Amino acid sequence: MFDISLNQKGEVLLCGRFDASQVEKAEEVFNSVAQTSTVNFKDLDYISSAGIAILLSTHKRLSNTGDRLTLINMNKHISDVFRLAGLDRIFEIE
Amino acid sequence: MEKKFQRELDSLDKIFDFTSEFISKNKIEESTAFSINLAIEEIFTNMIKYNSDSFNDISLSLKREGNELIICLTDFGVDSFDLTKSEAVDINQSLPERKVGGLGLHLVKNMMDKISYEYKNRNSKVTLIKHLEN
Repeated sequence: MFDISLNQKGEVLLCGRFDASQVEKAEEVFNSVAQTSTVNFKDLDYISSAGIAILLSTHKRLSNTGDRLTLINMNKHISDVFRLAGLDRIFEIE
Repeated sequence: MEKKFQRELDSLDKIFDFTSEFISKNKIEESTAFSINLAIEEIFTNMIKYNSDSFNDISLSLKREGNELIICLTDFGVDSFDLTKSEAVDINQSLPERKVGGLGLHLVKNMMDKISYEYKNRNSKVTLIKHLEN
């Protein structure tokens, strides 16, 4: 199960398992993000390279206009994946 | 445990159910379980991507031998594509330099203790080994 939504503050909420079968669903939301935003991982259990690619692509697009994604509330396993990928230096992770 | 899965992304749910059963039976700790799921997904999706003309199912087998977990994914009747020789990812690149793709196999190589590739009779087999602490 995977769910993605935007809350009233414009924060992207991820929930469940973000694997390669969820790319289209996630892209619909991330493509609508047009300025600096927060992505909340609080309820996300799992992410693979397919999910990371969408986050990185969005972050790169936003950086062209001086904007960015900030990632918050990652669990330890997901945080380890971002560190292994060297993305802890690319994203602001809180 | 061994099972064949249709070569489509929607098989991932069934694959995760299959690995969960193995993980539970073998009392594998959570962080290792995460790595196992990720490694299997990355190899499975690469097999789908690089042999898109094939309609054959992909086999996944999981077994524990002592403190080693052995994961094998086999793609039948396909051209050779050695996933283990993928281009290295430079994780020190800045944001403008970073490519969006290619991270999957980098993660697998870093999360597993050994990865090997065998091509025989038009079958591609990737074997992953993970040392277990418990």
